[in-house]
Amino acid sequence: MVTRPQRDTRIILFRLATVVVFVILIARLAMLQFFTNENYQEQAIFNRTRVVKTEGIRGVIYDRDGRILAANKARYDVVIIPAELPDDPDYQRSQELRYQVYNDLIALITDGLQRYPPVSPTAAPAANPDFIFGSNINPAPTLLSADEMDVQVTQREAGSAFKPIVVAENLPRSVAWLVDEGRFRLPGVNIQLYAERSYSAGYVMSHILGYMGPIPEQTINSYVDQGYSREAWVGWSGLEFSAEKTLHGQSGSKVIEVDVNGREKRVIGKETAAQPGHNLILTIDLELQQTMFEALIEGVNPLRSHSAVAVALDPRNGHVLAMASLPAYDNNIFANGITGQEYLQVANAPGKPLINHAISSIYPPGSSFKMIPAAGGLQEKVITARTLLNAPGIIYLPNRNFPDNLDLAQPFVCWIYKLGGKHGDINVRQAIAESCDIFFYKLGGGWPPGEFEGLGVETLAYYAQQFGLGAPTGIDLPGESAGLVPDPKWKRLAKGERWVTGDTYNMSIGQGDVLATPLQIALMTSAIANDGLVFQPQLVAAVTDAESHLLQKNEPKLIREIPVDPQHLATVREGMWMAVNWEYGTATNAALPDVEVAGKTGTAEFFDPEIPRDGRGNLPSHAWFTSFAPYQDPEIVVTVFVYNGGEGSAVAIPIAQRILRSYFDIKARDAAAGSRPVLDQLSGDGS
Amino acid sequence: MIRRQWRQFDWILLLAVLIVSLYGMVMIQSAVQGDPQLATYPQRQLGFILVGLVLMFIVAAFDYRSLGSIYVPLYVIVIALLAMTGILGKSLFGAQSWIEVFGLFPIQPSELAKIAMTIALGRYLATHQETIGQLGTLVGGLVIMAPLVVLVFMEPDLGTAIVLAVEGGIIFLVAGLTLRHILSAGVVGALSAPLLWSLMRAHQRNRILIFLDPTADPDSFFNVQQALVSVGSGGWLGKGYGQGTQSQLHFLRVRHTDFIFSVVAEEMGFVGAVLLLLLLLVVMMRLWRIAAQAPDAFGQLLVAGGAGIILFQTVVNVGMNMGLLPVTGLPLPFFSYGGNAYFSLMIFLGLAQSVAMTKRSQVL
Repeated sequence: MVTRPQRDTRIILFRLATVVVFVILIARLAMLQFFTNENYQEQAIFNRTRVVKTEGIRGVIYDRDGRILAANKARYDVVIIPAELPDDPDYQRSQELRYQVYNDLIALITDGLQRYPPVSPTAAPAANPDFIFGSNINPAPTLLSADEMDVQVTQREAGSAFKPIVVAENLPRSVAWLVDEGRFRLPGVNIQLYAERSYSAGYVMSHILGYMGPIPEQTINSYVDQGYSREAWVGWSGLEFSAEKTLHGQSGSKVIEVDVNGREKRVIGKETAAQPGHNLILTIDLELQQTMFEALIEGVNPLRSHSAVAVALDPRNGHVLAMASLPAYDNNIFANGITGQEYLQVANAPGKPLINHAISSIYPPGSSFKMIPAAGGLQEKVITARTLLNAPGIIYLPNRNFPDNLDLAQPFVCWIYKLGGKHGDINVRQAIAESCDIFFYKLGGGWPPGEFEGLGVETLAYYAQQFGLGAPTGIDLPGESAGLVPDPKWKRLAKGERWVTGDTYNMSIGQGDVLATPLQIALMTSAIANDGLVFQPQLVAAVTDAESHLLQKNEPKLIREIPVDPQHLATVREGMWMAVNWEYGTATNAALPDVEVAGKTGTAEFFDPEIPRDGRGNLPSHAWFTSFAPYQDPEIVVTVFVYNGGEGSAVAIPIAQRILRSYFDIKARDAAAGSRPVLDQLSGDGS
Repeated sequence: MIRRQWRQFDWILLLAVLIVSLYGMVMIQSAVQGDPQLATYPQRQLGFILVGLVLMFIVAAFDYRSLGSIYVPLYVIVIALLAMTGILGKSLFGAQSWIEVFGLFPIQPSELAKIAMTIALGRYLATHQETIGQLGTLVGGLVIMAPLVVLVFMEPDLGTAIVLAVEGGIIFLVAGLTLRHILSAGVVGALSAPLLWSLMRAHQRNRILIFLDPTADPDSFFNVQQALVSVGSGGWLGKGYGQGTQSQLHFLRVRHTDFIFSVVAEEMGFVGAVLLLLLLLVVMMRLWRIAAQAPDAFGQLLVAGGAGIILFQTVVNVGMNMGLLPVTGLPLPFFSYGGNAYFSLMIFLGLAQSVAMTKRSQVL
């Protein structure tokens, strides 16, 4: 039996309990709102604010005449944001609604592509699949099917439903606009616009311009410290890499307030606008560059060679007028983002298309090296311009230990000896013109022993270094090789062997261990042509801001003056003139009717386990030709190298001649038209 | 002679409830602003308040003691409705828990279950006051409760099932359950737990596990974290009405129902939140006061049931908003958006007013 007072007591207990519970709730409230208030306020601010980085528009790259080489193009993709697709509690209904969106979108795009067909992929001019890898100037539009869209949407819904899914790529602008207009009946569909790098010259400029890619993982922090966003793309090679700072401009940033889905609601505080990058005006003449590639491809095509290089410099200032390396690749393939497999396919293709052989690969220079012992010998008074050295087809270097035993002596032959001839008594000009090996053996290493001393290896190496060999030229591209000027110390350290006179002989004709990049040979030729001035090769002539105001004009950068008297260099030049213009010269087929050309061939033997010796046991050889013109007041140096090209005169000369021809034709045409180079106009504006 | 007197109507109770209701409507406005789909919710809530008021006055006008004679059909109808939900109910938010009854408003049978159980259990225990100490009475009460609790749980509405169980417990306690039976009920409950567990299906077990450990469900864990940030960042006076970053930028989910207390704490600060809690405290203290002064045991148990529901739901909801209790989806009484819960609360309020107007002093 429960009495009324008992129930009343229990109600009083409940009243007390109610008050106690409310005191607890209020205490908890006070604790949260007063004691841990600051912490939660910070979390609330962290929740709702984001720092957003914006990249400036990347600078444009022009050739010396203002032709666009690298620019930015808009790329339109269609995306679906799963969280904004129509939804219904009923799964079937939900799928129906979604498929309606997919199918309407597909119909809209398909219809649009018929009405506004995309510009057909531009075929690379004179593309040759043996030498040019990848051509992707106008990538074709892509579009997922409705089922593919649904698979992606369903996968994404589990995690980040607000992250866009790309369902159509590379749409023409008109089609993107059609989709944009139709968006009111396509919930969840959106257009994304990207600025994408576009290289209008394709493979012709790829090695010079390079390409871009996402920031590499290991360097991400240094880029972020400079204001880059983590998603930004940066230069990976070529000028895109070495001129990254100039081209990139300044990143902007803003603090935005976002909702729980990360969507921007408003901008908080001051916004720093992104600054566009600066434009580059190159020293390159695109027209000459194109001719150079055509000449190289056509010259090399009949051969078994898979790589070749040509370089054209202005000897007066170090400007690189053109520079081509085969095989080449189209750097537009990188603009869309390339898969790892595609990358490896291009990177490992025969001849390594991604490598700029003009600056990164080193080869024995062969006879094109002979100007160095000639200049050094004259300067060191080992010979004079009139000194005659006897050049039989073969000489014997006595054995060091048994100098009287001719059977142990080492024979050194001239190329002409293999044809059954000899050069006889010749001077240095003739020796250059006829590329006499015996003359340079004697000049470099001395012969006969004890009678004629020669330059000696140390002095020869010194002059080689003075002419720019054995060290990077400092051109504004990444990945340059130093080459090698050997000397006794190097041989002891690298091979553990003693330097012998035979090594000096080999080095004197550009064989043995001496190695140079084609650009180094061009630079050496340039120094001979301009009385001993070594200018740093330059690709960037000027920098302008986004409104084309001149910011910086790169003056010629003199690295050093070669310590050889002008009259000796003149003697060397005369030898090179004779090579082209004297009936016994080795390069007579390089002559042009209206311009005096001077040059030097080279046929450099090399050892490659994959390339067999010829029938008579001779090693394969690279073909070289290095030249300058006009002979008086030289304006252009052209160096051509063909890997495994055989005779320099047969293979390399016609290529160089065509490049020289093109240069003087362009010059004459421009002079007739009265056009001035963009560079000169800019310097007028800038001052 | 008992006379019902309108001057005994508890106007303070009604005033407190009205202030809480209108305060709630204003906060719902802030919680849903910027969301076109929910734009009409404040107006609809005002409609619920008005309909609720009418319901309250209608119920108050009847003598609660007449309910004693209709509790059996009422109980049977509610059981039938609950059973039918599975067949006729329209699917909403994934759970089959809504059924059109009045045509105008969807009303949840589970809400009706709260009222039916209070009346039936109150009536049963009031008429068995002499044998309250006997086991048979306790079992009889549990037999009345069990079908309602189980059917609601099956609906599935775990939150309301718990409310029903707690409500029944409070009615038992007020009715005079002996300490011995309280303890033995606890022991029986603990022993039967594994049996119940083995009878449940996987998804039902899952629901209970998430209830016990919300961190197991990343979504509700996120919600609780954001609620804490909302409450904690409010400070003394809050960020201002409509200015709460957590609520306005939707870091806070289900803002107009489950987590509306966080909106109040964030935007109106400590002052606004304490004001709300004090108003609810006034409501409850008035209800306990009516219970204490009720003319008979049935009246006392009716009001105690209503007060118990309000107390339990308030504690669970506010506790959930402040990270003290697990997330259950129980609304804040008179404050959260929604018609169903509001109507059943207003019916309880009407019952309480009916009891208040029938004073003990008038029993002769």
